[in-house]
Amino acid sequence: MILLSPTPILTTQRLRLRAPVAGDWPFWRDFAATERARFIRPAEFDDGKSWRAFGHVIGHWVMRGWGSFVFTRQDDDTPLGMTGPWYPEGWPEREIGWTVWSADAEGKGYAHEAALAARAYAFDKLGWDTAVSYIDPRNARSIALAERLGATLDTGAIAPASDEIACLVYRHPSPAHRQGEPA
Amino acid sequence: MSAFLSDIPVLTTRRLVLRMPESRDHAAYARFFADAEASHFYGGPLAPHQAWDRLAADIGHFALRGFGRFVVTLDDQTIGGCGILDVDGWPGHELTWWLLPEARGRGIAQEASRAVLDWAGRSLGCPTVETHFRDENLAARRLTEGLGGVLLRRDQFPDGFDRDVYGIPTAQVAA
Repeated sequence: MILLSPTPILTTQRLRLRAPVAGDWPFWRDFAATERARFIRPAEFDDGKSWRAFGHVIGHWVMRGWGSFVFTRQDDDTPLGMTGPWYPEGWPEREIGWTVWSADAEGKGYAHEAALAARAYAFDKLGWDTAVSYIDPRNARSIALAERLGATLDTGAIAPASDEIACLVYRHPSPAHRQGEPA
Repeated sequence: MSAFLSDIPVLTTRRLVLRMPESRDHAAYARFFADAEASHFYGGPLAPHQAWDRLAADIGHFALRGFGRFVVTLDDQTIGGCGILDVDGWPGHELTWWLLPEARGRGIAQEASRAVLDWAGRSLGCPTVETHFRDENLAARRLTEGLGGVLLRRDQFPDGFDRDVYGIPTAQVAA
């Protein structure tokens, strides 16, 4: 059995954040195949590409020593989505990313709760002094979450190169400006 | 700060060491995928950041399946990759390899493949594995036949190309 370790586990009021595991793959695949994933997948898309993309999420942990967390409810290990520090080669800056994998997990504030914990991890444990989120301008839900997290549009920042659409860059409040945030 | 995949074997042959791909292999991946001719059958050419994505995906494959494509090293230099891939949405258990141009023509792909076949038979319990190469990839056909590969069928693949599918027995006659 090949396991990714040691990786941290973060706990919030309702959620548990852990590194991705092989058992999460079918949930990612099903998410990637729906219209809900249209803002984060390439235009030409198939299961093989989706597979490599999920492998990439795990490989990122090995290559950087940290990566995106899968979040679950505390009493149920079913993956609901993913959020966390993300910095593949070619990214202009270190990012806090997020995806919510099923419509059932939307509208409950889970992504907000998880992203807050993941961002705190990046600032407090990884020592980041700033972070951005790259968001498709058509992705209204994601923009709303960025704003709820206190991030603001940074029109001077560079977005990742893309053949498709230029992302907006939202910059998160720096660690020094997060007073009053739940620990 | 670090995260590891535990229990990945290291395969050793007369000249080569096959090990889990790591961050330090990015330079070799980038050089291979920058070479349009060398990477023609592997989806290349690719920019360095796309080669990084491929490397990350190769690492992740080990976590997702419990096996994957090793890097092939000679005197501690990464010169290619060889292993077994089983990518969802693609026919399963494929013996695959890639080599930097200067490593070709020296029997390295065959030597690495024999080690991988032996490991696939013993550790993964695969009596045979497949190869899926494009018709014009004559080097792959020669190598497959040299490894005792037998034509099983001709299939249309998810990318729209028809390919001969060979089965290679993992129990190899000693070279």
